[in-house]
Amino acid sequence: MGCDMLHDALRFFPGGDRAIEVELGDGMDFSLNFTVHRLVAAVREARIAAIEDLIPELASFQITYDPDRIRYEDLTAEITAIYARIGQGISGSLSSRLITMPVCYFEAETTACIDDYRKTYPDKRPDPDLVAEMNALPDRAALARRHSGTEYWVAALGFWPGLCSLLPLRPGARIFAPKYNPPRTWTPKGAVGIGGALSCIYPDRTPGGYQLIGRCPAPIYDRDQRLPAFRDSLALLKAGDRVRFQPVPAEECARIDAEVAAGTYRHDILEYQIFSVDQYLAWAAQQETRP
Amino acid sequence: MNPRSLTVLKPGLETTVQELPGRIGYLEQGFPVSGPFDKWSFRQANLLVGNDRDAAALECQFLGPSLRFDCPAMVAVTGADMRPRLDGEPVQMWQSLPVRAGQVLDLGAAQTGTRAYVALSGGIDTPPVLGSRAVFHMARVGGHALVADQVVPLGTPTEAGLLTIPPPLRPVFPTDRRWQVEAMVGPNDDWLDPASVEMFFAADWTMQAKSSRTGLRLTGPQFSFAHRALHKNSDHGQDPSNIIDHGYPLGAVNLAGQTPIILVNDSPSTGGFINPFTIASAAFWKLAQTRPGDILQFRRIDRDDAGRLRAALDQVTNPGVPARV
Repeated sequence: MGCDMLHDALRFFPGGDRAIEVELGDGMDFSLNFTVHRLVAAVREARIAAIEDLIPELASFQITYDPDRIRYEDLTAEITAIYARIGQGISGSLSSRLITMPVCYFEAETTACIDDYRKTYPDKRPDPDLVAEMNALPDRAALARRHSGTEYWVAALGFWPGLCSLLPLRPGARIFAPKYNPPRTWTPKGAVGIGGALSCIYPDRTPGGYQLIGRCPAPIYDRDQRLPAFRDSLALLKAGDRVRFQPVPAEECARIDAEVAAGTYRHDILEYQIFSVDQYLAWAAQQETRP
Repeated sequence: MNPRSLTVLKPGLETTVQELPGRIGYLEQGFPVSGPFDKWSFRQANLLVGNDRDAAALECQFLGPSLRFDCPAMVAVTGADMRPRLDGEPVQMWQSLPVRAGQVLDLGAAQTGTRAYVALSGGIDTPPVLGSRAVFHMARVGGHALVADQVVPLGTPTEAGLLTIPPPLRPVFPTDRRWQVEAMVGPNDDWLDPASVEMFFAADWTMQAKSSRTGLRLTGPQFSFAHRALHKNSDHGQDPSNIIDHGYPLGAVNLAGQTPIILVNDSPSTGGFINPFTIASAAFWKLAQTRPGDILQFRRIDRDDAGRLRAALDQVTNPGVPARV
């Protein structure tokens, strides 16, 4: 299967003497991003000792390496050979955890945050109303249905520890929203935001710019690694995971908040799943042609 | 027996525990590498107290801390001149200093440079988080900046004599406040007009006050953009300096609108702005020691030059460098 966003060959751009940006294509698209992840997984499997860090991103990935252990020319040649070996087409499968995140849409903390911003910028339309209107949705309930009616692909993490970029997988589930200008000075921990064509969950109380539509009571970031889902890292999500939002009412949200505070909450994570891009693309094509 | 620790009397301005190589392998989840900003001064401080050169030590910024030792130790202060005093008496920097339990080391405001390093024999023994003791203060990863009354645990020291760093092997901070910083083109120089690439290396850039371990902001001339930046797929965003989210190299000169921000140890790992230039890794120590208002000039070098600079930096921070007093 082809993809017109994919370059014919990898493009390498050196970032100083210790980093390389590897660009696979030009665009923000699930198929292109899947190819980035498949190549990054193959590079990881090759266990090149001089590689210190890999950052898969939407259309590219970054390699940090020790230039005293491998030359730039040799490393880029090795990456090119790996890409030729796995094949450039959009095909194949990757293991991909499915994580269900309870979400309370339009709840009190996010509403308070929006109201706080609007004290300084009274012309700012409340986020859920603005997003619903821009996406031709009749009301907030329709926005919540659209947002929770798809799995999301964790395309990348970055900018802040645990901050994720989520791409909707169901055709027609894309929601578009402009970013705040100027940005917010604070965002509630766990808030769900939409910016451009991406969704995110805010891992912690940080500044932000995405339009807020709800809050997840279960954390995706735990500085103290208290809950079992954080045994290996302070951040829950990894690129290539999938996230499903499970709408919950305010009482259920409060109950989960209490479980998190007590340290008894257990995340709903399906560890055993494999994601086949071939089957996905066939399914997606069917969805689009369905009346 | 005394506990192996020190107690913070005054914390200074965001004094943090740092360690090399920093937090490796977690950039993909958004954790910056952190670690000491000026590796040259940091490693020499460790060597002076008999530590492995990469052991955990304190990084002080602008205004140093006041520390009371709970046990005898060997101490060394390097980097920015913060006029260190032991029990009120001035003491030498770039030299090992035996201290007794109960003595107090005071660091003041930086006279030259910005960042000073305090190494302690045995190193600092805070619990590693994601494989490193390096602190990313903004997100409180690996702990936080020192606070008053905090007790900082120390490791087990090895025997070390009185050592000094010979003056020719110490980093030199320019007295005219003009820094020449080695930089390379890329990764996104092709998003700029070629004249702007030349301009970057010709101009004087002023360090803004709004600069920290999360980024150094520069003031200077305006950039103009290449065709690629002005006629691009709308996924890249509206501003000419916008690009589809990508990884940010350490030391990248990130262009957000018209403001260049040099991305350093605690900077974001990814984002949606271009990085036309990147500072050579062996020149980071200079960035660490620049002060707001200092002038930076960037000298264009290539990969081979950068390799020679790394080798030279390695030479002045190897265990054979300290000399007996």
